[in-house]
This record gives sequence, C-alpha cells and structure tokens, in this order.
Amino acid sequence: MPNRMKLTVSHAPFWHTGSKVSTKYYQIFAAALIAVIAGLLHYGIPAVAVVTFSVATAMIWELVMNMAVRKPTSIGDGNAALIGLLFAMLLPATTPWWVVLTGTFVAVVIGKQIYGGLGGNPFNPVIVSFAVLMIAWPQHFDYNVALVNYQFDFNPVYPLVLFKSYGPSAIESFSIMDMLLGRQVGGIGATFGLGLIIGGIYLIIRGYIRWEISVAFLAGVGLTALAFNLSNPELYAGPAFHLLTGFTLIGAFFLATEDSSSPVNFIPMLIYGLLGGIMTVLIRNSGAHVEGVVYAILLINLVNPIIDKIRPKAKRRVMNYA
Amino acid sequence: MKKRSFFGIAPPKLTYEILEDAQPETVSVAPGEKITLFIDVPFEKASTALLKLGDEVMGGEKLRMYPDSEAYAVSPVAGKIDAIMPFLGIMGKQMTSVTIRVAGDGRTDDAFGKAMQTPSLETAGAFLAALPGKPDFDQLMDAGRPVKTIVVIGADQDLLTVTNQSIVKNEIASVKTGMDTLRKITGIQNVILVVPSHLVQAAGAAGVGVKSIGNAYPSAHPALVVLNLLTDLGSSRSSGIAFFSAEAAAQIGVAFKTGQLPLKKHLTFVKKDGSRQLVSAPIGTHVKDILETLGESVKTGDRIIFGGPMTGNAIYSLDHPVQPDTDTIIIQDQEEIVLSADTPCINCGQCVRVCPTNVPVNELIRYLDAGEYEQAEQQAELDACIECGYCTSVCEARIPIFQFIRLAKHALERMKAAEEENA
Ligand code: SF4
Ligand code: SF4
Repeated sequence: MPNRMKLTVSHAPFWHTGSKVSTKYYQIFAAALIAVIAGLLHYGIPAVAVVTFSVATAMIWELVMNMAVRKPTSIGDGNAALIGLLFAMLLPATTPWWVVLTGTFVAVVIGKQIYGGLGGNPFNPVIVSFAVLMIAWPQHFDYNVALVNYQFDFNPVYPLVLFKSYGPSAIESFSIMDMLLGRQVGGIGATFGLGLIIGGIYLIIRGYIRWEISVAFLAGVGLTALAFNLSNPELYAGPAFHLLTGFTLIGAFFLATEDSSSPVNFIPMLIYGLLGGIMTVLIRNSGAHVEGVVYAILLINLVNPIIDKIRPKAKRRVMNYA
Repeated sequence: MKKRSFFGIAPPKLTYEILEDAQPETVSVAPGEKITLFIDVPFEKASTALLKLGDEVMGGEKLRMYPDSEAYAVSPVAGKIDAIMPFLGIMGKQMTSVTIRVAGDGRTDDAFGKAMQTPSLETAGAFLAALPGKPDFDQLMDAGRPVKTIVVIGADQDLLTVTNQSIVKNEIASVKTGMDTLRKITGIQNVILVVPSHLVQAAGAAGVGVKSIGNAYPSAHPALVVLNLLTDLGSSRSSGIAFFSAEAAAQIGVAFKTGQLPLKKHLTFVKKDGSRQLVSAPIGTHVKDILETLGESVKTGDRIIFGGPMTGNAIYSLDHPVQPDTDTIIIQDQEEIVLSADTPCINCGQCVRVCPTNVPVNELIRYLDAGEYEQAEQQAELDACIECGYCTSVCEARIPIFQFIRLAKHALERMKAAEEENA
C-alpha cells in the first residue's frame, strides 16, 4: 500500500549546508596540531605526556559532568578535546600531572559545564583555567624555571621575561625568523609562530573562526606596540616582538575566537579584537604581569555582551503584509 | 542541496532559480479517481453542514461547509463527495478536507458566469479566492487600512521554483488583463509588476510600471520588496500595499475574460535527481497522480515537500492534494535529508550573517529555547523576522530555529487574542 508509506516529515527549511558542530571542533583541533607537533619535537616525551593527559582528562571531566547532570554524552562533539589541547598548548612541557588535571577540571567543569555546557560559557574556559592556575601555582608557570633542564641551541630564556626585566636591548638575540620557527622558550604549542599562523589562516579561509576577531586582535597588538616603540624605543620593543612572542598568535587565532565568549556582529568583532590586542601590550609594557594575553582575553570576554549589543538595526517588516 | 563550500569565509549565498530560455513542455496531469479540497474552517459535526457524503458537485462549483462560514473551495471536477474529514495544517491549523470521487460527466456550474456580469471586488472575493495563486481579496477590503498600491510579484518566493517566472514569460497577456481587472474593480490606479531582472523585457508588455529585483534569496519576499524597492511609496511604511502573485493576476484575468473559473494549478516539480518539470494539474489532484504521470518513485523515508526548500511543508501522505498556493513540489531522497539536532547554540554567528532583516538570531534562539516569547519580541526582534528560513539552513548546531520562531509567533498571537477577549 503506497499510501501507508512513512515519509520523513519535519519543519522547513529542507536544505542545510551540512555543517555541524563536531566538524568545526575537529577542524580547529587539527589546525592547532600543526603548532603542537613542533612543540613536541622540541620538548620530547614530557610534552607528549602533558598534551595527551590534558586532552584525555578534559574529555573525562566532560563525560563525568554529562553523567552528573544526566545530559546526553557530548564528548563526541570534540569541544572538550579541543579545550584540553588548547590548554596544554599554553603549558610548559614540564608541568606536573596534577596541575594538568586541575587545569582541565577548572576549564571543563567551572569554565564550561557550570554555565550549561557548550555555548553557554561567558568566558573562554581555557583562559579561565589558565588564569586561575597562574595565580594558584605561579612557580609552575615560570617558563624559565620550568624548562631549566632543557638544552637548547637558542637563547633559553622566556623572551617576555627577558624583555620585562632588561628592556628591548636584551631581546635583540631573537630574530623574527627564530620566533616564527619556534626557536624560543614558551608554552608547548605557543611558540611555533609559523604553525599558528598557517593553522589560523586555514581556519579563517574555511570559515571556522571569524577573521575579524583575529585580524583586529593582531592589529591591536601591532599598533599599540608600535605606538609605545615610537614613543620610546629605548624602553619598549617593536611590533614584531610583541606579535611573535608569548601567547599573541595562539590568542589571536585560537583563544579570542572562541565562539561562545566572543561577539558575532561586525563592528563588535573589530572592537573586541582591537581591545584585546591593545590590552595585551598595555599589560606587557606597564602591568605587573609578564604576559598580557590571558588577562586581556578575560577582559574582552567580560565586556563582550555589552559590545555585541552594537548591531545593525533590524529591518522592520511592513505592518500590512500578513 | 546547497552544501557548505570549502571556502567558508563568506556565508553561503542562496540564489533563486532562473527560468532558462529553452524549457521543456508543461506536462498536464489529470486527476485520478479522487481529488481533495481543503476548506479553511474547522471541521465539526453539525446538522447544518452544507456538504454531505454522497452530494453531487459540479465542475466549477463553489463549496462552503457551514452557513456561518464564508470560507470556500471550488471543485475543478464534477463528482460525488466521498469523504469529509478534519485536516490539521501547519501549526495545528484546523481545516476541513473534502474528498470528491471524480465522475467524468463534465457538468459545470455557471454561478460565476452570471455574477461577473457586474464585475466588482465583492464578486472577485466571492468566487476567485480559491484560484491558482490564491489571490487574497481580503487585503483590499479592510476598511481600516486603505490600499493605495497593488504589487504583482512575477518572481518566485522560494528556491528551485520557476512557476511565476513561467507565467510572466508565457502568459503576460493574461497577467495584463488581470492587472487591468484589479485596477477596474478596486479603483486603485497604482499597479506595479515586480520581476527578476532577466524578465524585465517580457514584463514590459504588461503596460504597467515594472521594477526588477536581484537574484539573491529572499529578495522576492514582499516585505523586502517594500523595503528595497518601494521606499518612495509615502513616508508611512504601513501605507497600504496589496500583493498578488503573477499567477493569481493571470488567473483573475482569465476568469474575467472567459466567465469560467480556471482551476488548473501551475507548479514546478523537482525530482530526486534535481531535474525540474513544469506541471499543470487541477487543484485537488493528489500528489500520487502526479508522481505516476511523471514516473517518479518515492520510498519510505523520503520527503515530499509542498512549496520550496526554505519555506515549504513536508507532507504526510501521497493523497495530499495540490492546493491553490502549491507552487512547487519537491521529492527529496532520504540520503539528502539533514535532520536537526539538539545541540545548543554555540554562538557561531552564521545565522546573523545571513538574516535579511538583521534579526539577532543568536540572541533570539536563547529566548525561544527558554520559552520566553515576550522577551524574544522585546529584546531580540522576533517580529522583524520574515520567516525565510535562511538562518536555519546555515545553523552549525542544526537547531530548528525556524520552527521555534513559528511556534513563538503562534503562541504570542494566541496570547494576544486571549488578552483582547478578556479585555
Ligand atoms: S527566518 Fe527570520 S530570523 Fe531567520 S534568517 Fe529569515 S528573517 Fe532572519
Ligand atoms: S547559526 Fe545556530 S549555532 Fe550559530 S549562532 Fe546561529 S543559532 Fe547559534
């Protein structure tokens, strides 16, 4: 009986681009791996351990929370894994396992799940966790101390520290090429500038991150650094140094662009990015902290809801058309 | 199906189908054993019902259900009433479905032929509201909102469809007669024909002001036509404009010219393989008769869509009939179907980038998901939504946003109606 045939019935529209959340997070994960691999080559087995442990525990925390609040299992969407990976990318290769475990707990449980999970977090979970841990155990986030047992064929000092303590003349030993190729001390996945740039551009072209944010963030860093540098070259480093050290690149492409804590409208995205970039350099140049990206992103996450209210006026439909 | 392309830096563009010069012939489909008509009134068992099982109907006869309801359908065929049932339309809209067993003796009703001797808006409203293209005469009769302009849209409202374009191309003379008739019976002199740019030349023959619209979806939507093209129509946006489709205008023209009600619906049929066929079938024809004539097969799990891919309705049964506004029928293979998911909104912003009226969909969906419909209206521009479905087709979380929007609007309407009743 053809009349009894069960047809698929659902609401319009009947076309979909086919995009989905999991594809997006796997793609970002893959793009981030480029920079991670360079880090693993530098730091060897300890880095591999930190990265895999971080990804694994982030997923476990997600699963635990799924079960605790009786929600459908969501580790398949790749978001928890991505949080774990990005978190590990910021860490020194020697981070103890219990710091990693606590870090992924703070990121996944306090940074994300408490707000209802995916899409609900007002702050980037990775940034929240990193900020908390940096206050709790500052000694583990001192890249010079942490990495003291490594033999490098380049200047084994965290460039931002060197700069903070001794000014621009101290960092002359870092060439742009060195910094692009990861020949600097830092987080496992944060130093291979070229890898981060390639990954970021790939994500922008594919539409997985919003280019407006990344570009504005980098512009903010570059312009502010330039302004400082012009005002007093003796005291302040130039734009290239600020763009290529610390967390600037990973922040611009992978952290500030986190969907839930960033704006979606055009002008707000530019303001958000610019503000993040400006704050980064301000903190580095005149704040108490060596690295400014983490607090800068926390700050722009905080003001995001207000900024994103600047949106184009809705076009009202004519009242008479039913 | 418009898939996400490799390059995702710009949001996907949806474009209307363009009727090419060489088109296959229109296939005429004859109704099978039975046809079904919908009458826009809730079904109830009342002894006063004007239609009963076994009643004979004539071709062109106007069918009303109850004495106290003006809603009607017009039967394109002669036959006997076989079934009268309630029918639940979209958003739980209650209607009555009347099935007629076709008897081929061809008797026709001449009530319209007599009534049209005195052409008037009332005659049109009383006989032509069920014509193909579903002309809405009520919009012209609302005393509280006098209409100053009539806009005939010779473009199609949804994707994949060429129905109205083919009318402009092939039947521009009827469209012209229809527009002249509308002008005569309403006294409204300002009549405008809106067509896609490739039809501007063909539309010239209508002898009215022609405006052209672009090819990007949903520029043919009446609200956007007004926003983009008709800004010169006085300062008040609500200054009266009445809309008709080109098909409706053409059929009004035919009706007044011949004294007979034209009841063959033109529609674009899109097969599973994506190929398109223009079809003409009497209103009420069951979709299975069209499938049979065109040799298209449907299996369990496939989807049959009445209307376009963005705004149409998926139907339940192969007995579903062609209605006055069925411009498109699409058969979608099960493999092609992307079902919605229960992932929450991740704030990716794709929806915001494509919305033609700048609705902050990412905020809207949060209110709708929480059932806060009044907030949705006050804080997130729910009422600016023109229901084009674009946002939903790009949503990365695959949220059925459009469905949420319809539900919310429906609930708000009911709340307002209840408030008015209590006031
Ligand atoms: S359905 Fe409404 S909210 Fe969505 S894109 Fe269309 S107008 Fe905007
Ligand atoms: S497209 Fe979907 S997931 Fe993305 S912001 Fe809009 S509603 Fe949220």
